[in-house]
Amino acid sequence: MHAFSSHQTSYLDQIETYVARMPSLSTTATKVLEMCNNPQSSPNDLNRLISLDPVLAGQVLRLINSAYYSLRHPVSSLTRAIIMLGVNTVKSLVLSFAILQQLPIARRFGALSPVRFWEHSVTVGVIAKSLAEIKAVHLTEQEDYFVGGLLHDLGKIPLNHQFADETRQVMALAGQNGGSAVNAESVIFGLDHSMVGGLIARKWRLSPTFADVLTYHHRPSEAAVNNAQLVFMVALADRYARSLENDADNDTWANDEFAAFVMARVGLDASTLAHVRNTVLAEIDRAKIFLEISQRKSGHDR
Amino acid sequence: MIVKFWGVRGSIPTPGSETAKYGGNTVCIEMIFADVKRRIIIDAGSGLRLLGDHLLAEQAAGTVFKTDIFLTHTHLDHIIGFPFFTPIFIPETCLRVYGPVTCETESLQAVIGGQLSYRYFPVRQQELAAHIDYINLAEGCFDLGDGIRLTTKYLNHPLLCLGLRFEYDGQVCCTAYDTEPFQNLFVTDLHDPAFDALMAHQGEAAAREENQRLAEFFAGADLLIHDAQYTQKEYTASRKGWGHSPMESVINAARRSDVRTLALFHHDPMRTDAQLDELTELLCDPRRTGDTDVFFAREGMRVKI
Repeated sequence: MHAFSSHQTSYLDQIETYVARMPSLSTTATKVLEMCNNPQSSPNDLNRLISLDPVLAGQVLRLINSAYYSLRHPVSSLTRAIIMLGVNTVKSLVLSFAILQQLPIARRFGALSPVRFWEHSVTVGVIAKSLAEIKAVHLTEQEDYFVGGLLHDLGKIPLNHQFADETRQVMALAGQNGGSAVNAESVIFGLDHSMVGGLIARKWRLSPTFADVLTYHHRPSEAAVNNAQLVFMVALADRYARSLENDADNDTWANDEFAAFVMARVGLDASTLAHVRNTVLAEIDRAKIFLEISQRKSGHDR
Repeated sequence: MIVKFWGVRGSIPTPGSETAKYGGNTVCIEMIFADVKRRIIIDAGSGLRLLGDHLLAEQAAGTVFKTDIFLTHTHLDHIIGFPFFTPIFIPETCLRVYGPVTCETESLQAVIGGQLSYRYFPVRQQELAAHIDYINLAEGCFDLGDGIRLTTKYLNHPLLCLGLRFEYDGQVCCTAYDTEPFQNLFVTDLHDPAFDALMAHQGEAAAREENQRLAEFFAGADLLIHDAQYTQKEYTASRKGWGHSPMESVINAARRSDVRTLALFHHDPMRTDAQLDELTELLCDPRRTGDTDVFFAREGMRVKI
């Protein structure tokens, strides 16, 4: 059992309170309301919408697997949730989160750019799913790879939202050292977003696999054996997504020690990853059009 | 175990000469466990009014009226009789109302008791004399005491809805309404721009597994009371996704699951007595139904299990 210092505990107490009513991302809120109020919206659209918001997807999975529904078979797939509980039930869950979105607290996102956060989450999800396809993961499990990628950075939201000043310091420190946000978070907060992610996973009773993704995507070797492949793939997707975001060339990122280690572990190489690049960029563009993000970007991406 | 039908109609009460034989009251079923002096009511459609009056007429003076009502879901045709259930106005009544609600934001008490407010009814919930407990019901297995066990399963309806499987002394009575076969809701046409291979595949697998679970849920029932609002032709033409089943596929599913007796239930409000008689001739013939005894439920009918 990990013992927390008083410094960490003070942050964790505030984070726990926040996690219970964590609002979804402002990037998807308008679309959520529009879709849920439109009787013509299709299950495909609803599924896609939820799949494009890490907080919404996590919250829907949390509620579906809660004691409230007490399902005998835990659900990790949004597709399955829609079939089992029906479009209306899932819509009403989604709407209840959209209402949270109307609270004043949800209108400010803190130090991070909500659009960049959204884009990174979806990118990691899409890459993880594409890699699962390349590795011939069974179709019924591929969605777990997408959702795992989508949710992996959830721990950043409470830190960013509740402690915007500290998050700015984290970003500055990470920028100065050219190092990762995880190390900078440890310096400033005494904890990092993967620890907060673990806390969210426990609070929301996410599946053990997703809990490991949130907790160990920066230390995949520590994941449980059963979840290791998925956690490693998300870790790789995360690293590759960052290289795409920074426009790094293939050699630079592939020579990164961590990336090389993870690629070796999952049996993939840099040239294979380069193949998914265009697919990933096209999917992100499609998602932006779907959510009409480009038109609203200036309003939210501050 | 004795099962009595007090309301068999779906959607809306349908009084009139064309529905007099099968009955026009909406869903309400009484289960009597005489050995242990227990009574369980399933659903509170307009048939509940008649049941309430019947129970009060039967009851000896000075006895406490105590019963459980299990709601499969909270659509209006399943709760509309609640304000007219006379025992709720009597101080000695103790009632437990079980049922699912869609989301955490509104309680079962607010959904059911909300009908008892001045805008809909002359008596408010707070003014009721009876002691009423509301209990949220989800999927699971429950010991109801006196040797009665209940298993519940989510069905396929536009609102969260539970099937109920009661077991007592080796006998099984199961309800599966309102529901329709689970289907893949996602686009499966490769040429549709919205096609997504993953969704299509997952949707197919999930629907297949849920249908299998539903079949297991009512397997071996002595009495299965199942949604049969539509004919196959009506269902296929324009009723898919409305949350009700085609009778032909229900009969086949019950036979496959070795159901002993199948009560076709939740009749469409447009269905006349003459049509139900014709459908009985067409679909309930033992030469067609094999070892499963099939009938269209009728208001006032008693089935001994």
